[in-house]
Amino acid sequence: MDRQGSSNSAEASTGHTVPAGLAVARRVLDGIAWLCMLAAGLGLVFIVASFGWLVYGRYILNNTPTWIEQLSLLLIIYIVCLGTAVGVHRHTHLSIDFVRDGLPRWPRRILHVLADLMVVAFGVIMLWQGWVLTLTNADHQLPMLGVTASWRAAPLVLCGALIVVFTVFDFIERLFTNPGELH
Amino acid sequence: MGLTILFGLFFLGLIAGAPVAFALGLASIATFIYEGLPLFVAFQRILSGIASFSLLAIPFFIFAGELMLHGGIANRLVRFAAAAVGRMRGGLGMVDVVSSMLFGGISGSAVADTSALGSILMPVMKEKGYDADYAVNVTVTSSTAGVVIPPSHNMLLYVVAAGGGISVGKLFIAGIVPGILMCLCLAVAAYLVAVKRGYGSEPFPGWMALLVSFIVSLPGLLTAVIIVGGVLSGVLTVTESGAFGAIYAVVVTLLVYRELTWDAFKTAVARAVRTTSLVMILVGCASAFAYLLALYRVPDHLATFLTSVSSNPYVILLLLNLMLLVLGMIMDMAALILICTPIFLPVVSDIGMDPIQFGVVMMMNLGLGLCTPPVGSCLFVGCVIGDIRIEQAAKTIWPFYLAIFVALMLTTYIAPISMTLPHLLN
Amino acid sequence: TTWRGWNIHSPGYPNSVALKHFAQTITKKTHGDIQATVYNNAVLGDQTDAIQQVSNGAINFANFNMSPMGQYVPKTDILSLPYLFNSVKQMHHVMDGPIGDQFAADMKKKGLVVLSWFDSGARSFYNSKHPITKPSDLKGMKIRVQDNDLYVDMVEALGGNATPMPFSDVYQALKNGVIDGAENNYPSYKETNHYEVAKYYSEDDHLIIPECLCISKISWDALSAKDQKIVRQAAVAAAKEQRRLWAKDSREAKKYVANHGAKINKIKNLKPFQDAMKPVYAKFYKAHPDQKALVQKIRNTQ
Ligand code: NA
Ligand code: NA
Repeated sequence: MDRQGSSNSAEASTGHTVPAGLAVARRVLDGIAWLCMLAAGLGLVFIVASFGWLVYGRYILNNTPTWIEQLSLLLIIYIVCLGTAVGVHRHTHLSIDFVRDGLPRWPRRILHVLADLMVVAFGVIMLWQGWVLTLTNADHQLPMLGVTASWRAAPLVLCGALIVVFTVFDFIERLFTNPGELH
Repeated sequence: MGLTILFGLFFLGLIAGAPVAFALGLASIATFIYEGLPLFVAFQRILSGIASFSLLAIPFFIFAGELMLHGGIANRLVRFAAAAVGRMRGGLGMVDVVSSMLFGGISGSAVADTSALGSILMPVMKEKGYDADYAVNVTVTSSTAGVVIPPSHNMLLYVVAAGGGISVGKLFIAGIVPGILMCLCLAVAAYLVAVKRGYGSEPFPGWMALLVSFIVSLPGLLTAVIIVGGVLSGVLTVTESGAFGAIYAVVVTLLVYRELTWDAFKTAVARAVRTTSLVMILVGCASAFAYLLALYRVPDHLATFLTSVSSNPYVILLLLNLMLLVLGMIMDMAALILICTPIFLPVVSDIGMDPIQFGVVMMMNLGLGLCTPPVGSCLFVGCVIGDIRIEQAAKTIWPFYLAIFVALMLTTYIAPISMTLPHLLN
Repeated sequence: TTWRGWNIHSPGYPNSVALKHFAQTITKKTHGDIQATVYNNAVLGDQTDAIQQVSNGAINFANFNMSPMGQYVPKTDILSLPYLFNSVKQMHHVMDGPIGDQFAADMKKKGLVVLSWFDSGARSFYNSKHPITKPSDLKGMKIRVQDNDLYVDMVEALGGNATPMPFSDVYQALKNGVIDGAENNYPSYKETNHYEVAKYYSEDDHLIIPECLCISKISWDALSAKDQKIVRQAAVAAAKEQRRLWAKDSREAKKYVANHGAKINKIKNLKPFQDAMKPVYAKFYKAHPDQKALVQKIRNTQ
């Protein structure tokens, strides 16, 4: 999948020495984001194709596959959770920057840290409560699929963890690569 | 107090520049803690928001749009529009508006329209002596027709936020006439500005060329017919129509237009995943937020407040429109649909407006918000492609705002504009 | 304290009316110690989510249909078996007696204290093709069912093509022949206008599923014995009112659809339908071997 959104470290690094470990870490995280996109993309193509199969089954075979809707509802959670995490890494989420970016340096820095803290807090709680739901959901089954509803909550754990990792890395990278005016 | 935490933390997050979805989510979580409610409920709401039958079509609509964008449909539509309306004064402005109308019928996203048509038309306009601000303004404002003309994933959000009970098919066709009306108003504005600035016209390529360009663009236009026709006829459910639209788009761009390369396909998939995730995580977090709005009975309180301000339906509708316009300036469309629909809809129903008509009004109103600073994703994309500063574009955009506003007022106060087609459907 | 109640129906529905009176009675009889309000239209989440919320005390009371309850309390799955009850009257008799208490005990383990049983009528098949009098009339028909393996198995056992589909899509799908039929009770058949597009309603009463009025165990345990008594009495009164309103609604809906073009037939011989369910029951017993005795016990009641 495309990696275009993931290269904002390149222009930030001009004029400053970037620790080698940081560059390696970025490559690793870029790789993880790429894998997430690959998995989510395959999921999307699969559900599109499966709905084609659903219609074929209903009209041509007169035997409607009953698992497709429920499976798609499960898969969409995986797609969205993976995509959401990648969105954090690539800074593509919808946000309002004009207030912050119109402020002088110090208030701007504080707000930026605050925003990062909020995202990390959300990620940590998502990870934690996703785990809670994964455990409690083990007591009931998803209809038509024959698996427990834990599978429905598990992606939250992954998404929460990735949000935290991506945001913390971002914060550290900004500290090193751009101690000057920008942030 | 709970409401103060909810809205306070949400706006703090917005101002700090946190992603809107996470600001909604974290504000909800804090309020859950304050109320002593178990936190898992917030994430249960998020999951149910993401995994809903009614919204399963959204990734499909977005995917179909991306495929058409990367598979060569946009430039064929522009060629057809150029042959049809290019000979008028300010011809390329007209071409832009008509292309947006046609493309709006395929894509569900106004930003996609801006980037697709902008990157094709803006360089041509500049080359022919049109000012950059004009090119940006026309492209940006007319692209919002894509939100009003079906298919439109924002309409699905509205149906879900309204709590079901609204027919997607009816809302879809209700948008057709208002969408065209909006483009007409924009065409008038584009024409008048072009005359004032002395822009020229394009030569007419002849009827034969017009016919050929139409036939060439026809397979692409059929995507909209498949999606909307599938829903309206009831042969397919909304979800199935979306999936079929996407499958058809693959077939057309791959076999008929032969422009869908492996790389283009991968880009379309990746962008569809990206946009889907952005929209759906917003939907999820907004459902946690909406749970608390329902708990505090905010819709009831607002309805009481508004009816105490005035009992005149015209005044209430104007107030609602102004509130949406102001909110649309600073916030994203999808989030506003999800938050405002449950609050505003009871008020609107009380004064006797059809929820379908209000849906169209809301699409048009928030569509305008996509082209207004400080937060307007279409305006941003348009300025990047047109290579001008936002202030520059904003200085001369007001005739186009006025055009949309006129269409908005007509759609608000003259019900038959939106409701005639849905009534015919019965 | 404030008590929040979950309800899936809109305000005028029999269940909503009964719940409203239930909440008002509690507030009045506890002299405002408990401020109970009902949130209609499922604004606090769908039923599967709401069950979790009640068992964790986020919601204090609720009216649940017993069909999706099977996901959480597998022993209640038995209530989704086709042709289990012969009549609504028998269902009332069973649920108000010791067998109903047994279900309540199983649900209490999951944090739901059942205080009374509501009615959701009897579900029958309706379709756009022809009246159904024997199982073979269903052969090859695309029938919309709810998302539950038992209902899919039921339709397939009768020779139909089970088609799960979101409830909101069913009208259009019936109208355009995407599906041939669905199944529901009279009030729903009327409210959804399905009678306009699928006019053959064949009373086979294949599902007679009770509903419960339950309190979160957390909220229940926090009550004094006196308040528990107040709440229980209010719940029993609510069930009585709901059943009365429901029966009235059902009669009126039947009359209404009959006057508006629906062709209703009562299936006289249900034996072939019940016989066709043998594989469904066999599969169920295989998954729940301990439930066979309970099915017999229910069958033996009158
Ligand atoms: Na559109
Ligand atoms: Na805006």
